[in-house]
Amino acid sequence: MKAATEDDRMAELEVNHSASGAPAQGGFRERARSLCSACRQVFGMPDYERYLAHAAQRHPGAPVLTPSDFFVQAIERKYGKGGARCC
Amino acid sequence: MNRLVSFLLWPAIAIIGAFSFAALALGRGESVNAVWLVTAALSVYLIAYRFYSKFIADKVLQVDPSRPTPAVRHNDGLDYVPTNKWVLYGHHFAAIAGAGPLVGPVLAAQMGFLPGTLWILAGVVVAGAVQDFIVLFVSVRRDGKSLGEMIKMELGPIPGSLALVGVLAIMIIILAVLALVVVKALTASPWGLFTIFATIPIALLMGCYMRFIRPGHVGEASAFGVALLLLSIVLGRAVAESPSWAPLFTLSGEQLAWALIIYGAIAASLPVWLMLAPRDYLSTFLKIGTIVALAIGIYYVAPKLAMPATTRFLDGTGPVFSGKLFPFLFITIACGAVSGFHSLISSGTTPKMIENESHMRLIGFGGMLAESFVAVMALTAACVLDPGIYFAMNAPTAIIGTTAANAAQVISGWGFTITPDMITQTAKDIGETSILSRAGGAPTLAVGMAQILGQALGGKAMEAFWYHFAILFEALFILTAVDAGTRVGRFMIQDMLGHVYKPLGNTEYLPANLLGTGLCVGLWGYFLYQGVVDPLGGINTLWQLFGVGNQMLAGIALLLCTSVLVKMKRQRYVWVTLVPTAWLLITTLTAGVQKIFDPDPKIGFLSLARKFSDAAAQGTVLAPAKSIAEMQRVAFNNYLDAVVCAFFVVLVVAMCIFAVKVCMQALKQANPTAQEIPPLAGTQGALA
Repeated sequence: MKAATEDDRMAELEVNHSASGAPAQGGFRERARSLCSACRQVFGMPDYERYLAHAAQRHPGAPVLTPSDFFVQAIERKYGKGGARCC
Repeated sequence: MNRLVSFLLWPAIAIIGAFSFAALALGRGESVNAVWLVTAALSVYLIAYRFYSKFIADKVLQVDPSRPTPAVRHNDGLDYVPTNKWVLYGHHFAAIAGAGPLVGPVLAAQMGFLPGTLWILAGVVVAGAVQDFIVLFVSVRRDGKSLGEMIKMELGPIPGSLALVGVLAIMIIILAVLALVVVKALTASPWGLFTIFATIPIALLMGCYMRFIRPGHVGEASAFGVALLLLSIVLGRAVAESPSWAPLFTLSGEQLAWALIIYGAIAASLPVWLMLAPRDYLSTFLKIGTIVALAIGIYYVAPKLAMPATTRFLDGTGPVFSGKLFPFLFITIACGAVSGFHSLISSGTTPKMIENESHMRLIGFGGMLAESFVAVMALTAACVLDPGIYFAMNAPTAIIGTTAANAAQVISGWGFTITPDMITQTAKDIGETSILSRAGGAPTLAVGMAQILGQALGGKAMEAFWYHFAILFEALFILTAVDAGTRVGRFMIQDMLGHVYKPLGNTEYLPANLLGTGLCVGLWGYFLYQGVVDPLGGINTLWQLFGVGNQMLAGIALLLCTSVLVKMKRQRYVWVTLVPTAWLLITTLTAGVQKIFDPDPKIGFLSLARKFSDAAAQGTVLAPAKSIAEMQRVAFNNYLDAVVCAFFVVLVVAMCIFAVKVCMQALKQANPTAQEIPPLAGTQGALA
């Protein structure tokens, strides 16, 4: 039982690594997308494709947010309570 | 090969650093190049990062790369997201760096460039970066919990609630002082006010674009936002020169204060996507861009530091803020050396995005080093200015008067020779009517930046443009902070009111929302207005109150870190947090007590209040007040400041007692008692 959890965790880690904004292998388009996504994440905007990949892996078949809903919710979550901001 | 590079590289960096410090310290009698100062700072950062942060990570915290972080355990693709460490570094830096590191060092420059530089460097390595790193670590090991929750967990419920009240008080003072910086920068400046005003429609436009046209395209929206901002700076000149438009944008300090209070109340009630989020993107964009440009500019122009290494104002008689080097330098420069507010960010969104424990060193420790570098550059920009100009901009009118001739005479009397022509010419160069008494850091930094960037790009003709660009850049993130801070304050106030009368705590209930927002704006607005009408300057009172509060918060965060280390049975290494805690407590308690009780009315709130209320009782009007009513107001406000300061002092002493008690108990235990999430809590378990 315990071993299974451990395996899940490793699988999870691998998925994360491939989608965490590190320069991806592949063509120019993929690289450009990855760079843009990294910049957006610096601004605090999460990556939609990574969310899709995550949803497909963890909750296959379940309904997913549309891109505009995803971004609307991301802004709401980040700023809704004001968000700690520094002096 | 790697080892050989390392073997040669680190001694080389150490030698470059030592050489830079020697250039700074030994360059008596002639001005030193700013490049040495910046290089010395960079060498310190590299060495501290390579050795000290590694020691903290490996020995003190024993960071474990195989231990799943909250982002891995709770990965939901939304909030808990394992993020590339360099991306998160940028994100974290954008969240921690605000106006603080730009203001404090500029004020501290009155003592010369050396005291400020040394404190920024020593403070960041020993205290600031350590705090940010360890709070981040403590939060990651506790599922990304916030500072208040962690204090509740590890120190008990009473200290937890006390800390929350303290955070709210500090927040109010921060909002007031930041708004005051904006007021000082924009008073009677139609060019500046027009460009800041223009950011409102630009943000609304960006907000709608990102909501309805291209959701999520932050970069695109920010790019055209920045283009419009630059256009607004160009238009601003035309507005300032137009006889019909200029009066519309020429406001007095009081009018600006009211405008900001009304703005704060409205902005904090609008939907976040409409103004707060786009403003924040714009300000992040400008922040990163300007800081990089300034660093390149300093190396490219290699300006000389016109300010001496130390000035006669070490003795506490300075016009910008009163009080001796110890303890007042250490509360004037808070952000950049150590900032308590970072403990809220390091226990906010960042810990939920850490991919691996081994990344915390770069993000926590390294992120703070970058903010410190911003502080060093701000100090450099202020010290590049002619000292006469620096004092003309930062001394209050009560000391230097309101005309260039008077100011030049007073300042030359201090030994910083300057002519009235130089003062008026500087104002003309930057496209303003006057530069006198624009305390608060932003304008001084803007003139310094304008001179550096002007020399690099565009020459004298572009100085006015760069000046207003720099003002815009600072005002933009201050206004974002005012908006976001008012929202945070509202939630905290509603949370507290909810304990008194339940419906007031409901954040979905409109009357309760309005009450919370109104109270929050009213509180910071009161301090802001008091600062604006304070004939003695305002900044020199409020900034020190903020400094005391912010350093006290750092003290509280470090007390938590110390208690956690003891509870983890790592007391061998407890000096890592105990030394900065002790230093912060010593400086802030000394400063706090002096601010309240010092018999010199220039320093002590109570003695100034007494001086004015006694004189008012006898019917004499003391300059610079003009009426008995004004005298009574000065007295009342100083009593109030004394109460706020006393609250901070009592708060930190109480936290200290709680922490000592917890540590004593933990020392008696044979096993670790810190409440961490166990390393083997797998993904499934945590989600269940």
